[in-house]
Amino acid sequence: MTLFMKPVSRRGALKGGIAAAAAIAAPSVLRAAEPPAVKVGILQPVTGALAMDGEFGRTGAELAIADINAAGGIKALGGAKIEMVFGDARSNPEAGVQEVERMQSEGVAAIVGGFASPICLAATQAAARYDLPYIVDVGVSDQIIQRGLKNTFRFAPGFAICTQAAIQNLVRINEAAGKPAKTIALVHEDGLFGSGLAKLMQTELPKHGFEIAETIAIPTPSRDLSNVALRLRSLNPDLVIPSTYYGETVLLARTMQQQRVRPKAVYAVLNGAASNMRFVKEFPEAAENIMDVNHWQDPRNPKNAELQKRVVDAGKQWNYNTPLNYSCVMLLADAIERAGSADRAKLIDSIAASTYDKHLMPYGPTKFVGGQNQGAAPVSTQVQKATIRVVYPEAFSDAKPIFPVRG
Amino acid sequence: MTRRGYLPILLVLAVLALLPFAVTSNVVLNFVVFVLIITLAAQGWNLLGGVGGQSSFGHAAFFGTGAYVSAILQVRFGINAWVATAVAVAAGAAVGWIIGFLSFRAGLRGSYFALVTLAFAEVLRILANAAGFTGGAAGLLMKLDVGFWNMQFTSRAAFLWLALGFVAVGLIVSQMIANSRFGAQLVAVRENEEAARALGVDVLSVKLKAITVSAALTAVAGCLYLQYFLYIDANIAYGLWISVEALLAPMVGGRGLVLGPIIGAFTLHGLGEASKLLAGRVPGIDLAAYGAVLILVVAFAPGGVLGLLRKLRFRSQPVAKTAEETA
Repeated sequence: MTLFMKPVSRRGALKGGIAAAAAIAAPSVLRAAEPPAVKVGILQPVTGALAMDGEFGRTGAELAIADINAAGGIKALGGAKIEMVFGDARSNPEAGVQEVERMQSEGVAAIVGGFASPICLAATQAAARYDLPYIVDVGVSDQIIQRGLKNTFRFAPGFAICTQAAIQNLVRINEAAGKPAKTIALVHEDGLFGSGLAKLMQTELPKHGFEIAETIAIPTPSRDLSNVALRLRSLNPDLVIPSTYYGETVLLARTMQQQRVRPKAVYAVLNGAASNMRFVKEFPEAAENIMDVNHWQDPRNPKNAELQKRVVDAGKQWNYNTPLNYSCVMLLADAIERAGSADRAKLIDSIAASTYDKHLMPYGPTKFVGGQNQGAAPVSTQVQKATIRVVYPEAFSDAKPIFPVRG
Repeated sequence: MTRRGYLPILLVLAVLALLPFAVTSNVVLNFVVFVLIITLAAQGWNLLGGVGGQSSFGHAAFFGTGAYVSAILQVRFGINAWVATAVAVAAGAAVGWIIGFLSFRAGLRGSYFALVTLAFAEVLRILANAAGFTGGAAGLLMKLDVGFWNMQFTSRAAFLWLALGFVAVGLIVSQMIANSRFGAQLVAVRENEEAARALGVDVLSVKLKAITVSAALTAVAGCLYLQYFLYIDANIAYGLWISVEALLAPMVGGRGLVLGPIIGAFTLHGLGEASKLLAGRVPGIDLAAYGAVLILVVAFAPGGVLGLLRKLRFRSQPVAKTAEETA
């Protein structure tokens, strides 16, 4: 009892007080020596319909920021750390704009992300009011870069580049195999990308000797695609080209499997599921051999395997959004480094002049023209033995295409 | 009699109008602008669904028509934004009249009317998604061209005042209707349609008038959404979200009351934003708060926030109750 009751002497109290004051003051002294952090806004839809994709993207951005800080921050700013200001775009453009306003009020140097085209369109515009640099991660709508907004950059390929590549790759793969595929059935969702894509295919593919047997539009969401599968079975096309979102693609692939619809190949374009590991893991048989033209990481870059391992070890899922957002943040950090400042005008000039090539994507060196990265291109992927392989172009491929799947 | 009810309206408007002088944060101003747009759509709904008792589940049809007509006129024909807005509001009102004519003449009420309005909105959404002149699924993007004549403003405050001006018109129109003979007829139709008819009320014409004004107000919200965000597609303009927003705000605020929509919209979205601030980085917490508010309102305050306030006042002052009843 006396131990606790022992009276504190005046001198003892003084000593203790000084020690306590020093302990409290010490971190602020340390902090003063450190340069102020550069805030970067990360905008992703992590609630609502697009939550899954938003999470993939957020993971990538978080890892990139952690890596930059672990490597000593921005050296040109005396090792300034990057501080993430995260915003949930809630899968709709209004929430995206609201988050951009919040990020602006918190003083971010730039924003990365957006994912869906409507969110990107609204958010880049809100950021443009403050000349706030904005790097779009996915948002394939070409309207994003056609508005002459100086602050807006897109690192990934847009709709026009992707569809062009999709048609070229298909023609080459088919020719290399001795032209086994002639008739095609298009199955597309009736929204922006599906119907746009179908229209383009209808005009472009016949020029290369293909015959469009049927074009089938399906709504999103669809709960049953038996009729579509039966129609495909009676048409018996050589190729099925689905341009649909995740749920419908999975449903279509499974229904086709059940109804024994066996085309020579399933060749998807910018598909929601065909380049998604979740689909491959959950329905390996239905997914096997499906091809896709999409965003994907460079499989020959060893950094990707390393990053993927970290993501999986953390109990998270991996998709192309992860390396894509990782690369976007890295590109931004490189631009801040070269600008030697987090000043917005300087940063915009610096991003515009970027030739960043240490990214994880199968792109050439970065070169922005009118806000679009000209080095960006999609790749052809194929699900082979329950993993997603890049089969085309050869410069990045880690497997040969299996085409036709059935002779 | 004619001045009754205008004082609280004036008070609410004054507070909101002075807000940009007190708060300069664009986060807050942007939030208020969005809530005011929702308020306008909700005021439209409240007139038909709250005062008139014809619960619509498809106010997106009017919101979307306003937004699309305005966007098409501006983007495709280069028509001035203000003129386009006026035409779009007229078009929204016309769509309201047509939907009203078709469904009220067929004698649809209650859940049948709700389902039919939902169907109309969905049909319009699919058409807008498929047609070429609406930009199809790619939607319509307006050029960012700031200027008074383009109804685009650099400062969020200017847009706030514009939206507030329209909300003020909505409030005054609602109050005028509440004080008028037409308002009394509308309430009579809500309470008992057969009795109203027996008393000589032209039920069809009263309902048609209500849906037309209601649609016009909601169409204004669509136009403002377009001018503010400069981009619409079928899922934004004709999406279910705005139908739900338009009916939730009056339900939460006080169904059929003039100030119901504005109180409800600010309560719902305000609590959502506040929980986002308090809970910090937990994604979706604001949506959970939103849901919780709804459940609480439905369970404990069927008359909405205003109804609850009134009930509490009466409980503490029994004298006031009798005075109100005799009035």
